[in-house]
Amino acid sequence: MAQPHKSFLDWLGEHLFSCPFKTHFGIDCPGCGLQRSVLALFRGDLIASFKFYPATIPLIFLVIFTIVHLKVDFKFGAQLIKIVFAGVAVIILINYIYKIYTHQFI
Amino acid sequence: MSEEQENPQENRPIDLSKNQNPEPAPFQPLDQGPATPPPFQQPPPFQQPPPFGQFGGGGFGQQNLPNATASLVLGILAIPACCFYGIFGVIFGVIAWILGAGDMKKYQLNPGLYTESSYKNAKAGKICGMIATILSVLFIVIVVLMIAGAITNPQMFDNFIKGLK
Repeated sequence: MAQPHKSFLDWLGEHLFSCPFKTHFGIDCPGCGLQRSVLALFRGDLIASFKFYPATIPLIFLVIFTIVHLKVDFKFGAQLIKIVFAGVAVIILINYIYKIYTHQFI
Repeated sequence: MSEEQENPQENRPIDLSKNQNPEPAPFQPLDQGPATPPPFQQPPPFQQPPPFGQFGGGGFGQQNLPNATASLVLGILAIPACCFYGIFGVIFGVIAWILGAGDMKKYQLNPGLYTESSYKNAKAGKICGMIATILSVLFIVIVVLMIAGAITNPQMFDNFIKGLK
């Protein structure tokens, strides 16, 4: 194989869903960067993942924790889910405002 | 029993002779009494909630609230779903909110019937749905404002977008 190795993640990176908001208005929506961030996380690059979208890591933790909680039924589970969810919402809001102020729309 | 003493007019023997009605009233034996009501039945005792401290898996006869899990899952999914103009975020968030609120009401009507952990899940689902709905509505408001701006004043809108980039 003379061709350089192309992994599934590379293929996935070229076939992301395009954001309809971004295609119409030309600027990012509050959810933009999530897919790139998840891809970076799959590659093991935590810092790049955080830079693309800071809420990805808590969001994935939240999803996994919810699945486990629904199976195991932690005593504190619902409370923790609420707190992490509110944190994710705040991170998304701050991230979007920060993007607007620093002209970081990619 | 005591009714015969309460209305003695019905069983008075003078009534029959002085009655203007020629036909005598049908004889009613005294021991039966006039239309005694059926014996008063006590309602079933109120279902007591089970002793406190039965978490997880439910106590005896307790069940999970029907929509608690769906509410929680939809509420969490509403955040990643806000990408498409926030529409899916609003749909998921509102559904999670309604399901969670309905289950909370159900639990408060009959706290002994459902597990406390599912009540907590429903509450969490309701709050997650509320937060996601607020975020998505904010985003929708931004989209509507931008569309309105693009329609009414395209030149200014182009400059605004260029300024943002």
